[in-house]
Amino acid sequence: MNDERRSRADALLGTIGAPGGGQLKVFLGAAPGVGKTFAMLSAARELTRQGVDVAVGLVETHGRQETASLLDGLDVLARRRIEHRGKSIDEMDLDALLARRPQLALVDELAHRNAPGSRHPFRYQDIEELLDAGIDVYTTLNIQHLESLNDLVRQLTGVRVNETVPDAFLDRARDLVLVDLPPRELIERLRQGKVYAPDLASSALQRFFSPANLTALRDLAVQQIGDRVDADLREQQTAHGHVQVPVRRRVLVAIDGREGSDFLVRAGRKVAERRGAPWTAVFVDTGSGDLQRQRRVDEAFALASRLGGDTQTLHGGNIANALLAYGRQVAVSALLIGRSRERPFARMLNRTLSQQLLRKGAHLELIILSSPAARARARRELVSATARPGLQHELVQAGIASLLAVLLAWLAERWFRLEDLSLVFMTAVVVVGSRSRQGVAVATAAVCFLAYNFLFTEPYHTFYVHAREDVLTIGLFLVAALICGRLASRLRQQVVALRSANAVGEALRRLNRDLAAAADETGVLRAGARALRDALGAEVICLVRSESGIGPRATWSEPPGLQLSEGSLAAATWAIDHQQPAGRFTDTLQGTPWWCLPMVVEERCLGAVALRLPETDRGSGAMREGLAGLLVQEVAQALARVRLVDALEASRIQGETERLRAALLASVSHDLRSPLSAIIGSAESLTRFDEQLSSADRGELAAAILAEGRRLDRYIQNLLDMTRLGHGGLKLERDWIGLDEILGEAVQRLQRLFPQVPVRLSLDPGLPLVYVHPALVEQALFNILENAARFSPKGEAVDVLVSVAAGQVRIDVIDRGPGIPEAERSRIFDFFYSVERGDRDRHGTGLGLTICQGMIGAHGGSVEALPGPHDTGTRIRVTLPLPEAPAHPETE
Amino acid sequence: MTASPARILVIDDEPQIRRFLSIALRAEGYDVGLAASGREGFEELASRGADAVVLDLGLPDMDGSEVLAEIRRWSQVPVLVLSVRTAEKEKVALLDAGANDYLTKPFGMQELAARLRALLRAPRGASDSPLYEDGHLRVDLARRDVSVQGRPISLSRKEFALLALLMAHSDKVVTQRQLLGELWGPSHVDDTHYLRIAVGKLRAKLGEDASRPRYIETRPGVGLLFRSHQGPVG
Repeated sequence: MNDERRSRADALLGTIGAPGGGQLKVFLGAAPGVGKTFAMLSAARELTRQGVDVAVGLVETHGRQETASLLDGLDVLARRRIEHRGKSIDEMDLDALLARRPQLALVDELAHRNAPGSRHPFRYQDIEELLDAGIDVYTTLNIQHLESLNDLVRQLTGVRVNETVPDAFLDRARDLVLVDLPPRELIERLRQGKVYAPDLASSALQRFFSPANLTALRDLAVQQIGDRVDADLREQQTAHGHVQVPVRRRVLVAIDGREGSDFLVRAGRKVAERRGAPWTAVFVDTGSGDLQRQRRVDEAFALASRLGGDTQTLHGGNIANALLAYGRQVAVSALLIGRSRERPFARMLNRTLSQQLLRKGAHLELIILSSPAARARARRELVSATARPGLQHELVQAGIASLLAVLLAWLAERWFRLEDLSLVFMTAVVVVGSRSRQGVAVATAAVCFLAYNFLFTEPYHTFYVHAREDVLTIGLFLVAALICGRLASRLRQQVVALRSANAVGEALRRLNRDLAAAADETGVLRAGARALRDALGAEVICLVRSESGIGPRATWSEPPGLQLSEGSLAAATWAIDHQQPAGRFTDTLQGTPWWCLPMVVEERCLGAVALRLPETDRGSGAMREGLAGLLVQEVAQALARVRLVDALEASRIQGETERLRAALLASVSHDLRSPLSAIIGSAESLTRFDEQLSSADRGELAAAILAEGRRLDRYIQNLLDMTRLGHGGLKLERDWIGLDEILGEAVQRLQRLFPQVPVRLSLDPGLPLVYVHPALVEQALFNILENAARFSPKGEAVDVLVSVAAGQVRIDVIDRGPGIPEAERSRIFDFFYSVERGDRDRHGTGLGLTICQGMIGAHGGSVEALPGPHDTGTRIRVTLPLPEAPAHPETE
Repeated sequence: MTASPARILVIDDEPQIRRFLSIALRAEGYDVGLAASGREGFEELASRGADAVVLDLGLPDMDGSEVLAEIRRWSQVPVLVLSVRTAEKEKVALLDAGANDYLTKPFGMQELAARLRALLRAPRGASDSPLYEDGHLRVDLARRDVSVQGRPISLSRKEFALLALLMAHSDKVVTQRQLLGELWGPSHVDDTHYLRIAVGKLRAKLGEDASRPRYIETRPGVGLLFRSHQGPVG
């Protein structure tokens, strides 16, 4: 539902002209042959039908008939021929495409490397140029061509893929569409020679297309799509290094029996659950015999069992080795460990557990988690690192440094010359200068000089400056102190600035990603509230200005269930009315704990965001305001966008409803009245002239009543079906069923109405089950059959062919009637066309086929009209996607 | 068998429907009773009895499903329900409540007559006759023997159970939930693909063409029906 809404939203945005270049849509597949190009062309055809100007820049059909047939009727641009070393290579004509300026350009195989002599070395650069020119682009991509996955794919399949696309390019895509085909079927297609794999040597082909590889690639593709949707998932995958086989394998949670073991167990369960993977909590017993620790481990194990995980105690001297050995044994994909206590020496020697694991367990995904307590501690440390250490602290440091210098100099005095001793003091000055504020550094310089002068220069034990060199020494000391101090403080400022810039950038990036996925108001507010919570550590309430003017209405809070007090609500209302911040940190109503920021877009206030920052928050005001302001502004923009889309959608539906009403009224007055007048007339004649009528006439009149009655019934049935279909509001009750069963029922129904029309069924043996709403599909097929039967010449059969290909099942219904003129073929499914024509003339099909398309479309399938074989009659082709077969039941 | 014509009770509030049904059914050779409301229907059924009931769901005094439930409290007379086209769920509910078959308005007279013939012909209660034999298919429920055109075929446990269950309700639509619940247990009532696979295998073994089934008919989204071709039980 959401997807549908989004794509509709996209289409609308497309029509009003999105700023900043064209939109990119990528059809992503796990391997060649899954039907990406097919899907792309189908989508483009649909858009063409809606009146979008589509041009085909370049599409490779690889001689596949079904794909080539989709190119019919699309504007295919001629290719450009490039001569290279005596060979001629056909490439996409970028300039022609830019000059043609379609709304949408189709460019196949995103990862393609252009022939030498082209404008850009890679096709994705061509596409970039198209997008920058404001042209929307549809393209296709196999997952193994994604740069970041290149190594992984080689690891998995042993095949190196040379043509890659940078991941950043994929980020430009507004939509990723996953074209999926179960591996079993792909291999079947491959065997039948239906798959053309250009960039793989034939010896590698066998290996590449093994079921295991395809499953893994498919997993990667699904993961790629999932990554863009599920923000949390991506966070957990930042540790993603070389996962040997990224399919659902066990997650290990290593606990050590210290504080936070419970937390690790819970976190591990979350990670495993999200991946649908089994998980085990492990403890490595190194034989320490610590009873309290053992007790904590037992508690954590009990918790793990309650949460559905396994538990395992390992024995061994080295924790990392024990974990890795166990990991190899049970096929583990990820290892979750707690952050070890900082032991500086171990860290220096690369001996901490995480370091050892990183080094030895490169094939594993390693997730290192801090317990909440450790995290709070780290946060405190971070704050103190960015804030200046106290003056006292620095003075003590400086004192110690000076003392050490005196001591060292005193020791060195016996072996070194006097001039060298000054270097010792200089070192102390530089060290202090680089770590302390300028005043302290200067003071240190003075102290060091005095000590040097007093203790080591002649005359000893006086402050008398004897020689010119000594004056120079003082000067140097002071200069060194000043320079170091300046450098150090600038460095510190840079670190602080970088850190906050990073935080702002990261928060914005994540917010934008989540906002892009949000399809409605709630989605936008939820994403915004989460981003604000994560970035500022604050509690967040989003308020939307109500149209009725009763004051704002809280629509989303993070954590959920928060309420504003009356005073705070007043602050929020003020913020909305005056389009200025209010509450805490401001001059207005500052007594409330909430800081209320208005969401303003183009001088209209849409609502406000109320933030309650932790009491301890003492971060810089400017940074906090900057970050919060930026995030709130983003949310406001996104909110305005979804509202605009909703408004456009509403007005479009309004317009369509009006048109529909007019069309239906016209149709009802004709299609209901004409059969009724025939029925009334015939029946009246029968009753009034009964005696005078011949039996043949009587029979004819009765037959007319019957036929017109049925026509009326069909018409009313169609109206009911239209209501049932609504406009997108259909609820599918899917169920497994055999197509032969559905077709059998539809054919039997048809035979009752048209006993004189023979129907020939031809089914592929071993048809898989379909997962559909049986009654709807049956009605849809019946409509097509009935249409075919009505137009069939006497004695000619209607043929029904069912076949399976490319993860789809195809049902062709072929009649030998007059056929449909080519110009009308695509229009017979159009609602208004059908309604306006009614079923009054020979070609008119009534609403039957429109309904059929609605019903099949609701299942993700398609219906199209094609000429019959040898150009006689009509072939209506229904295509339904096949789901993966369900688990095999026990039938014995 | 008795020589007197079978009696059909039509419960429908529309006079036109009652009139044409009564004319058409008499022409088919039945004795016809008419009732315009649920209450009249009970009285008629209680006082004069019927071999089959044609029940319209939209009655003025009570809901058709209530009438059905009331009838089922004291009678096993076959009931054919007439309804306007409704959601499959409603049909399933009616069948589960004890209806034998349903027909969607508007319907053809031929269709109604065929359904009624099937209902009247169906032997009530499978335990009475553990043997089914129609010259093509032979099923010995007691000995678990099934043969088609004299050739014995071997069915798996589940396939046989499915066949037996459908035959126990010959010519009556058995809903998917009922089949799944009885064959696979209550936790599997939604695993309809179990049923589909079993039906597919059973049909294949019986030599059935699923698109023109002779014995096992599918009512999409509702259930399955075993069509008996056996003459009246003698």
